Amino acid sequence: MLAGKGFKKVFNVSGGINAWKSKTAIGPQDLGMDLFTGKEAPLDVLKVAYSLEQGLREFYITLAKKAGNEKVKDLFLKLSDIEVKHQMSIYTAYNQISKVETNKADFEKMVETGALEGGLSTEEYLDLFKPDLNSEKEVISLAMSIEAQALDLYHRVSSKITHPESKAIVNKIADEEKVHLTSLGRLMDSL
Amino acid sequence: MKWMQFLTPAQSFDYKEAEAYMAEHASDTVTLLDVRQPSEYKESHIPGATLIPLPELTDRLAELDPEKPTLVY
Repeated sequence: MLAGKGFKKVFNVSGGINAWKSKTAIGPQDLGMDLFTGKEAPLDVLKVAYSLEQGLREFYITLAKKAGNEKVKDLFLKLSDIEVKHQMSIYTAYNQISKVETNKADFEKMVETGALEGGLSTEEYLDLFKPDLNSEKEVISLAMSIEAQALDLYHRVSSKITHPESKAIVNKIADEEKVHLTSLGRLMDSL
Repeated sequence: MKWMQFLTPAQSFDYKEAEAYMAEHASDTVTLLDVRQPSEYKESHIPGATLIPLPELTDRLAELDPEKPTLVY
């Protein structure tokens, strides 16, 4: 149908969702969308994104405390460090765009943390995936599920956002989540 | 009648090829289109997919960019 309507390149994903072996996302189209109005200026998008990374970082730190063995504890701390790197790149982008240097403490005061990446709360993620906190594979699987959820949310948000620069920022963050998901997959394969 | 729609075959990707294709392309340069029903999408979907159920597709084509490669499932 699409090819006949002027779509230049159309590919059928054979087997559809049933054949899809990688992580999937769940929930309706509006899940987590309340975090963004769609009218945010670029700096506001970065503040929301930073808060989501902060939420996930705190989530991993909480789980590190609950972890049953040292390997899993280390893994959670490693995952939380990755979120710190994401936060730093968002903070750097904030200062570049605002053209006024805001120190990190002042920036963090402007950021509210309410939800994790992907738009679900800590409890919702744990209820949903019920990870075994003694298993490295399950922990990485949980992290991959969250990244898949985050990638999905940023895609949906991108279609809602009207400001071109804000949209570009969201797309860039979505691409970073995609890379993060791939690297977690490699980590999983290495176990 | 637009014969093109019957004569233009869509190439198929298996999931590995589709995943690799999306990994190689920036998010805003490819459309991943989910044409199932909202209840199916809610249960599970490929991250980043845009939902337009098949019965609505003809009326909502303007929401999509025909210039972008489009992966459909």
